[in-house]
Amino acid sequence: MMEIFLIAVAVILLIWVVTTYNFFVSSKARIKAAIQEIGNQLKRQANLIPNLQSSVKGYLKHEKRIFKDLTDARRAISSAVKSGDIQKMADAGAKLASVLPSLKIAVEDTPEIKGSKTVTNLMDELRDTADKVMYARRLVIDLTADYNVRRVKMPSAILASIFKFTEQPGLITPEKGEHVEVSSGDLKTPKVKL
Amino acid sequence: MESYGVLLLYSRITMINIYEAQAANKRKSLAIMVLFVIFITASVYILSQAFSVYLGYQPGGLGFAGIALIISGLMSFGSYYYSDKIVLKISGAKPADRKRDFKFFTVAENLSIAAGLPKPKLYVIEDSAPNAFATGRDPEHAVVCATTGLIVKLNRTELEGVIAHELSHIKNYDIRLMSIVVVLVGMVALLGDFFLRMSFYGRGRGRKSGQVGAIILIVGLLFAILSPIIAKLIQLAVARQREFFADASSVAITRQPSGLISALKKISADHEPLEVANKATAHLYIVNPFKDKAKSGVGRFAGLFNTHPPMGQRIKALQKMV
Repeated sequence: MMEIFLIAVAVILLIWVVTTYNFFVSSKARIKAAIQEIGNQLKRQANLIPNLQSSVKGYLKHEKRIFKDLTDARRAISSAVKSGDIQKMADAGAKLASVLPSLKIAVEDTPEIKGSKTVTNLMDELRDTADKVMYARRLVIDLTADYNVRRVKMPSAILASIFKFTEQPGLITPEKGEHVEVSSGDLKTPKVKL
Repeated sequence: MESYGVLLLYSRITMINIYEAQAANKRKSLAIMVLFVIFITASVYILSQAFSVYLGYQPGGLGFAGIALIISGLMSFGSYYYSDKIVLKISGAKPADRKRDFKFFTVAENLSIAAGLPKPKLYVIEDSAPNAFATGRDPEHAVVCATTGLIVKLNRTELEGVIAHELSHIKNYDIRLMSIVVVLVGMVALLGDFFLRMSFYGRGRGRKSGQVGAIILIVGLLFAILSPIIAKLIQLAVARQREFFADASSVAITRQPSGLISALKKISADHEPLEVANKATAHLYIVNPFKDKAKSGVGRFAGLFNTHPPMGQRIKALQKMV
């Protein structure tokens, strides 16, 4: 009777060790794949831009700066994806994301383009591709959070230290800086002019 | 003004973050499932005992449970294995097209990236009543279906909330879970049915008389009548709990409770019934397709028979998430 009990405990323990170990290694692989997915989506975004540029250029001759910024952002994405460095990719994506709103305003201020179906479609595509990059990053964040939480939580923390699973950095965000501080301007209620 | 401050403070205290919401939902789901398993085991055990007393020999009981499990399993296997194809056929859904259904198609594509799922097959039902459902036995065979009414009436953020809810059903293996639950409920119903028929036609041989035997028989009879109903009620409770869980998981994907809240409000404010839905497929949809009928019924007990939790409760739960 005692033997059966001990065997049962051993089997349950073994199953737990195997599934927990598998969780850590498969999470690591999934984080890696998710990071590649960000690069993949950024590249898709970069490839869309020339189409957009050529279809609105005729209307927006005076908005030279936007086009220069767009071209720069596109170049930054291409080189970042080529280097495979996740931090560079994230920066390049952020650069593009900061140009798009000004393009959107320029498009909306110009009735002739706003009416053009190709441009509306392209703007939809741009919003979509920006979402895709955002969600690809969300997956990296979620996967790393899962992994890192299990790594420090008991009882899986025991296994993590035995097998030396190190903390996954995920998307590196500086812990100090403007994005975590509240300036006096942020505290004011935003006024909306209609 | 002061009371408003207190109210604000109070609402801050009751706020929970999405991780907590998801953990709480997981715990509740598990609790209901444990209750369900205990109940099914107890009913099967008591009914088998009653069978053996009735027939006058021991080994008969569990054999009946086995037969009931096999029959119930066979009846539900088709609906589980071919769930995607059957439901699509019944609802008359057509494959979604990236160009025509751009918003729906891209939203589903993007959210599957975020959820880490393969992109499900996407279908559209031509119906102006806004609604959506997901089915399929695993993420590789998953289907998400939306009505044209949903796609037209919701904006992109709201649609993201709804589609993320559907993807959560896929990610949490809800279709598989509910299929297993339905098989077990069917088993108990069949077992009760066997017993009732047998005692009705009185074909018992060599009945053991005596007080213990009589008590077991009476308890067995009671279980034969009541346990299928109770099992069905627990099944519906599981379904409702999974809806709350999918709502919480949806927010975990989009991080925007407001999108799903306003989508649910819009969908429930729309009183048009969905024509292609029927009683067999109603539980799949994000909102009960027979909206107004679900509300009628007597008092608080009416809620026990609903496939979906009341809209007010779902919105309240979402509003607490930050």
